[in-house]
Amino acid sequence: MVPTLLLAALLATPAAAATPATSSPTGSDSAAVSVAAPPVLGLLRPAPQRAAVYRPRHLLLQTGGGVGMLSVGGGLSFAHRHLDFDGLLGYVPARHAGTALTIASLKLKYAPWELPLGGSGLALTPLAVGVYGSYTFGVRNVGEDGQYPDDYYWWSRTMRVGPVLGSSLSYALPDAASGRARRLTAYYELATNDLYAISYYQNRRALSLRDIATLALGLKLEF
Amino acid sequence: MFSSFSSAFLRTALIGALATGLSACELVEYSPNDHRAPADQKDLTAKNLARLAAAPLPPGDTLRFVFSGDSQRFYDDAQDLVKSVNQQPGIQFMLVSGDISDFGLGREMRWVDNELRQLKVPYLTVIGNHDHVANGRDAYQEIFGPLNYSFVFGDTKFVLIDTNSREYNFNGRVPDVPWLQGQLADLGGARRSVVISHVPPQDGDFDPTLRDAYAGTLRETPSLVFEMNGHRHDYGVTQPFNDGVTYVNSYAFEKRRYILVTVWGDKQFRLKQINF
Repeated sequence: MVPTLLLAALLATPAAAATPATSSPTGSDSAAVSVAAPPVLGLLRPAPQRAAVYRPRHLLLQTGGGVGMLSVGGGLSFAHRHLDFDGLLGYVPARHAGTALTIASLKLKYAPWELPLGGSGLALTPLAVGVYGSYTFGVRNVGEDGQYPDDYYWWSRTMRVGPVLGSSLSYALPDAASGRARRLTAYYELATNDLYAISYYQNRRALSLRDIATLALGLKLEF
Repeated sequence: MFSSFSSAFLRTALIGALATGLSACELVEYSPNDHRAPADQKDLTAKNLARLAAAPLPPGDTLRFVFSGDSQRFYDDAQDLVKSVNQQPGIQFMLVSGDISDFGLGREMRWVDNELRQLKVPYLTVIGNHDHVANGRDAYQEIFGPLNYSFVFGDTKFVLIDTNSREYNFNGRVPDVPWLQGQLADLGGARRSVVISHVPPQDGDFDPTLRDAYAGTLRETPSLVFEMNGHRHDYGVTQPFNDGVTYVNSYAFEKRRYILVTVWGDKQFRLKQINF
C-alpha cells in the first residue's frame, strides 16, 4: 500500500524532479580566493571551482531498479547535496535474463528535505524524486541491419527512461582528513519505465501501480 | 501475560516483515528483460496441459474451444474476454495464437497470465513475433515453455509451431519444417490434426524459402482440419494457396471478438464469432 501511494505521488508530480531549488555557490569561498590571489591569477579562478563541482561526491552500490542485479557507480552533488547526478554500471547474469546483460544508467535525483534525528548522527530524507535513463548491452534480439522494415517496432529495445521516487536514511561517519563530512546512506527507490508506464496508462482497470513498480535497494557513501 | 503478548506481537511482526520482504523481493527487478517469475507463473504450458489432461475428452465427443490471439498490450480487454469466455458452456480450452506480450518482456507475459488464469478452462499459447523481441524468447520459454510443442486431446492432435522467421532474420531454420513433418506423420492415436502458429505462411514475416515446404506439408496431411494463425489481428477464413487447406486467422484481443470453434466427425467444423 505504501509503495503504491508513493508511486502514485511520483507519477502525479513528475515535474518536481526538473525544478530543483535554486542555490548559489558559497560567497565566502570566492571572496577568499579573489583577495588571496593576484589579479592575473584571478582569471584562472573559475577553473578550480569547476573542478570542485565536478568531483565525485559519493559512491553507490545498488540492486534492482531495472538497472542491474548488482550495480556500482558514483555521482556528483549540487545544491548543498539536495541534487544528485549519478552514473551506474549494472550486471545481470544470463540465468536471470537469457543473456548476460550490462546496463549503463544515469539518474538525476532531487531531495528537498533532510530531517536530523536527534543527536544520533542519523538523518532521514523522506522523499527524493528523479528521472533515470538506461542503456542495455547484451540483449539477444535487437535486430540486425535489414532484419526489419523501418519502424517495424516503434520502441527501443535497449534504452529505457522512467521516473524514480524514494527515501533514505543517513548515518554520519567521522570526517575525512580533508575535513569534509562523510556519511553512509541506505536508500530505496521505486521506479518504472516507459514501456510499463504506457501499459499502465492504457489499462488502468487491469493494471495497478504495484504491477508496474520496480524496487531498488542501495548504499551510498558520501565523502 | 506480558510474554504471551510479546511473543504474539513478535510473531505478527515477523510474519508481517516476511510478507513485506517477499513482496518487495518480487519488485526488485534486475532489468525489464529479467524473466524471473514466481513458481506458479513458470512452465505455464506444462501446467495448462496437465489441467487439460485431467479432464479428458472421450473419443467421438465434439471438440469445442475458444480461439483468440495477440493479447499484447490489451489487458483491460483481456479482463472482459475472460468474463465472456467463462460464460460459454461446453468449451474445453482456449488457444492464443501468439503475441502474448507487446514488448517481449516477462512482466507483460505475467500480466496476461494474471487475467487468463481466471479462465475456468486451461489456455495454451504459441510464441508470436512480439514475444521474440529483446530477450522475450527466453522469457517465453521460462514463463510458458517450448517454442514448438504438440498435444493430443480427444480425437485431435494439436501441433503448435514457431513461424516467426523474421525474428531469426530468416535463417532458413524457422519454422522447423522437418519437426512439423514428424509431428504430423505420427498422430499419437488421434484421427485429425490442427496446426497453430503465429505468422501465417502467406505473410511477409514468414521465411519465403520455407513457404512451399510448409504449405506443402499441410497439403499432404489428410488428417489436417485447418491451420490457425494470429498476427493479422483480424478474423479470416481463407485458402491462400488454393490447395484445399483452410487457414483461420484470429481476432486480436483489442477487437473485442473471439472465435468459438466446434469440430466433429472426420474434419467437420463450425466457426462462430462472439462479441464481448
